Amino acid sequence: MSEVQAMTAVGGCHIFTGCGYPAPSYQDSFIFKPIFTIGGFEFTKPMMLVVFAVVLILSFFGVAFRRPQLVPRGAQNLAELGVLAVRDQILRPQLGRKGDRYLPFLVSLFFFIWLVNLFELIPWIQFPAMSRYAFPLSLTLIVWVTYMTIGMRSQGPVGYFKNMAVPKGAPWWILPLLSPIELLSNIFVRPFTLSIRLFANMLAGHLLLVVFSLGTWYLLSLSIGLLYAATSFIVVILVFGLEVLITLLQAFIFTTLTAFYISDSLEAAH
Amino acid sequence: MSAGPGQKRDSPPPRAGTGWTVMSYLIGGMGLYGAIGWLIGRWTHIAALFPIGLLVGMGLALALVIFRFTRS
Repeated sequence: MSEVQAMTAVGGCHIFTGCGYPAPSYQDSFIFKPIFTIGGFEFTKPMMLVVFAVVLILSFFGVAFRRPQLVPRGAQNLAELGVLAVRDQILRPQLGRKGDRYLPFLVSLFFFIWLVNLFELIPWIQFPAMSRYAFPLSLTLIVWVTYMTIGMRSQGPVGYFKNMAVPKGAPWWILPLLSPIELLSNIFVRPFTLSIRLFANMLAGHLLLVVFSLGTWYLLSLSIGLLYAATSFIVVILVFGLEVLITLLQAFIFTTLTAFYISDSLEAAH
Repeated sequence: MSAGPGQKRDSPPPRAGTGWTVMSYLIGGMGLYGAIGWLIGRWTHIAALFPIGLLVGMGLALALVIFRFTRS
């Protein structure tokens, strides 16, 4: 159920009518009924949003680079701006020029996450698919397989784990205690924090918007409640502004850390 | 010693991922040694071994951060 549906469900429930605040539950705000089913496989709103985002990005970049001009105009100009921004702000600081072969991966990752996050703020769509944990988790799995593979390729399967486990500068006698931490944090904690960060941020953002939107509706009445409602509405607007930043920031951080992990795999730790 | 940008020693320049690496060391250290402490505590029925394991893990993780980011 979306916010709009949740609001209709609480309907005429307002303050001073003997009706308690209908706090939005996880069930109401994040669990969706399947829209349609193909062969027992249920398609829900978040899944359709992700498919929609993929189609949107593919068609945008497809149109933009269909007949590339030397002097870009229109859509090509915008697309080049985006690609170059990812290259200069995310890829180059982490990987340098030698990392340019990973640009397509990072560009896709960045724009996919950003667009899927932005759906949180677009009226009537209003849902960040990344607040369902399976989506950030599967993205993180792709990143994990990528950086592990790159590491084993460039340093050899044994050398990669050896370089990972032996931090330079540590005396030899403490290594048996420190190596397990290195291995654990590189192999398990990294993907865990990477996915949780994105997931928790989008979940919290959506929850804040739902709580204060419902609050605005609930507090609305021809009394002092009007003042409460106005305050709640101002919070909605402020949180909305914050979320505009956060959607971009989370896409940026996810991509930056991916680039960092790849660069860590390319060369032995310093 | 923190690795500032103007530092003359040939330590690696600080990058965006460094902070997150430090955080994952701390989580990893506490998780690993906390788990070991908890297991031994469960085995020997000494409940205090779990928090002790957490502290040991945090200390070791800090040592790792110091070795890795200030002495290379």
